[in-house]
Amino acid sequence: METFELLLHGFSVALQPTNLMWALVGSVLGTAIGILPGIGPALTIALLLPVTTALAPTSAFIMFAGILYGAMYGGSTTSILLNTPGEAGSMMTALEGNKMARAGRGAAALATAAIGSFVAGTIATLALTFAAPAVAELAFYFKPTDYFAITALAFCSVAVVMGTSRTRGFVSLFLGIAIGVIGIDTMTGQPRLTFGNMQLLRGIALTVVLVSLFAVGEILYVASRYRSTPGVMAPIKGQLWMTKQDFARSWKPWLRGTAIGFPMGALPGSGSEIPTMLSYTLERKLTKHPEEFGKGAIEGVAGPEAANNAAAAGILVPLLTLGLPTSATAAVLLAAFQNYGLQPGPFLFTSNPALIWGLIASLYVGNVMLLVLNLPLVGIWVQLLRIPRPQLYAGILVFAMIGVWGLAGSWMDLTIMLVVGLAGYVMRVYDFPIAPVLIGLILGPMAETQLRTALAAGQGNPMVLVSTPLSAILLTLAVLLLALPILLKRLRANA
Amino acid sequence: MSTDGNNTTEGGSQAAAPASPRPYWIGVGLMAMGAVWLYAGFGLPQGARYAAVGPGLFVTLAGAGLLVLGAILVLQIWRGESFEAQDAEDADGATKMDKRAFLTALVAVALPIGTMGPLGMPFTATLSFMLVANAFGSRRWWLDLICGLVLACAAWFLFKQLGLQLGRFFPPLGV
Repeated sequence: METFELLLHGFSVALQPTNLMWALVGSVLGTAIGILPGIGPALTIALLLPVTTALAPTSAFIMFAGILYGAMYGGSTTSILLNTPGEAGSMMTALEGNKMARAGRGAAALATAAIGSFVAGTIATLALTFAAPAVAELAFYFKPTDYFAITALAFCSVAVVMGTSRTRGFVSLFLGIAIGVIGIDTMTGQPRLTFGNMQLLRGIALTVVLVSLFAVGEILYVASRYRSTPGVMAPIKGQLWMTKQDFARSWKPWLRGTAIGFPMGALPGSGSEIPTMLSYTLERKLTKHPEEFGKGAIEGVAGPEAANNAAAAGILVPLLTLGLPTSATAAVLLAAFQNYGLQPGPFLFTSNPALIWGLIASLYVGNVMLLVLNLPLVGIWVQLLRIPRPQLYAGILVFAMIGVWGLAGSWMDLTIMLVVGLAGYVMRVYDFPIAPVLIGLILGPMAETQLRTALAAGQGNPMVLVSTPLSAILLTLAVLLLALPILLKRLRANA
Repeated sequence: MSTDGNNTTEGGSQAAAPASPRPYWIGVGLMAMGAVWLYAGFGLPQGARYAAVGPGLFVTLAGAGLLVLGAILVLQIWRGESFEAQDAEDADGATKMDKRAFLTALVAVALPIGTMGPLGMPFTATLSFMLVANAFGSRRWWLDLICGLVLACAAWFLFKQLGLQLGRFFPPLGV
């Protein structure tokens, strides 16, 4: 069995002491930023991108994967104990989890979340192990037309699914695409929208936009509407972890959550919000204790938490096999690959198996580390919440400006940070989704290259865009997606 | 996300939203940006010799998209689309905007454009740190000064070690 051998080889890479250390660094950092407000996995990885100049790619990606998974674990802790979901994916956890914590069952909620995350993370990584090579194999046969159709579908689903309205989703997406065309055209060498400015020739880096939108925009927004009353933390001292009955009620939601989360995570746009919402709805329908829902039902924590972690593994399938990012975090991971001059896709599986399989193997290792880090040590982690907010947000800005300044030492980047940061503020005030900007920014140039290659091959006939069965199907799906918001509205109303 | 947020899309005159209820300027701004991109796109070759599509097409598409979306947004705003500020972990979307705090934080973000080059990263970061902390209500400026200075210096040395080009420590003294 070839996959198995490759995976074993991956473990030999992941279990090297230095790589184990980077996995630990990533897991610790990920858990910490999952717990801290104002900073998430995408921002953290973007701020750490500069280390790619000093680190070998395998070590860097092992650390980044630890951050990606760790943030999912850490996010559930604050949802349960403080009722402050740090990101969309932990919202459903807060619903039942915080009720459990207030009823004196916080420890059980944390345990089912951590163990559920571990079970889901491990099963989803297993699915990734076998699905990724298969998809990569298929992707060998994809033509530029197919790739263009895939990006078009990704655009539509991201714009439609994220955010409150289609218009606002597409506005965000087009802002990203518009920023993405700035700079030298890679195919003809023509400067575009540089207005004669030399510093704009190399384009606007994803890091600058991401840091500005996520860090600067958030700081400005929170400063303007700061809620200084601290949340009340539910105590967990001296409580029992899961009882036998808790276990019996949790294991099925874990598995169902995984089954929902993994494939949904692989689809563009669904992120972690929709799978967790679906899982919560499903568990509420299937439970034998419907009276407990809304008052702290353990199924309502177990299912969404599993879905959340499985979705995190799911985003790696299109990213590694097609080079297609489906979330903000995936977009910044793709930027990290590009920093190394690597293009994720079918060829990376053959050209750099040590990296791919080392990364996949490290996900298994990271999951074990995270379970150990989170379950017994949760009391230590919540101490992080004692950092006073003024100094925390001030520190985030310091790291943001280092990330932007350290890229090229350019005042133009700092100016862009101010402008895009202000845009991030406005987007929060008027409820525009942020992630489509980043997807548009990183996928726009890819879509353009594929479109132009495809059209050049078809001698300019636009029919070439639907010339393969796959491209025709995908473009049809993209059009159909525009009707999706109506379905989503129903789903949200039920949740 | 609150479920009641979705039920008020029409005629959104729900309880005093802090955001101005008719943000036409966003739509107009998008249309203006679209016009700039559209203009730039038309200035570029639309077709290339062997490729059917030149460097101008995508720019034109982006501009046209923004223009159309801006117009749709203006129309939606005119029809009464509601805009509710997002909730964040430490922010309440329903509270009124604190202008002083916002402007202080904005100064902290704008400051590096002028000082990062001539005065160096540690100095700039310390000052921005103090400003943001102040915006969030910290009134012990000396404590923020020490915290900011320690963090900025530690970060400068650490990232320098990692090979980041952060410039000199304090350029006026040539160190």
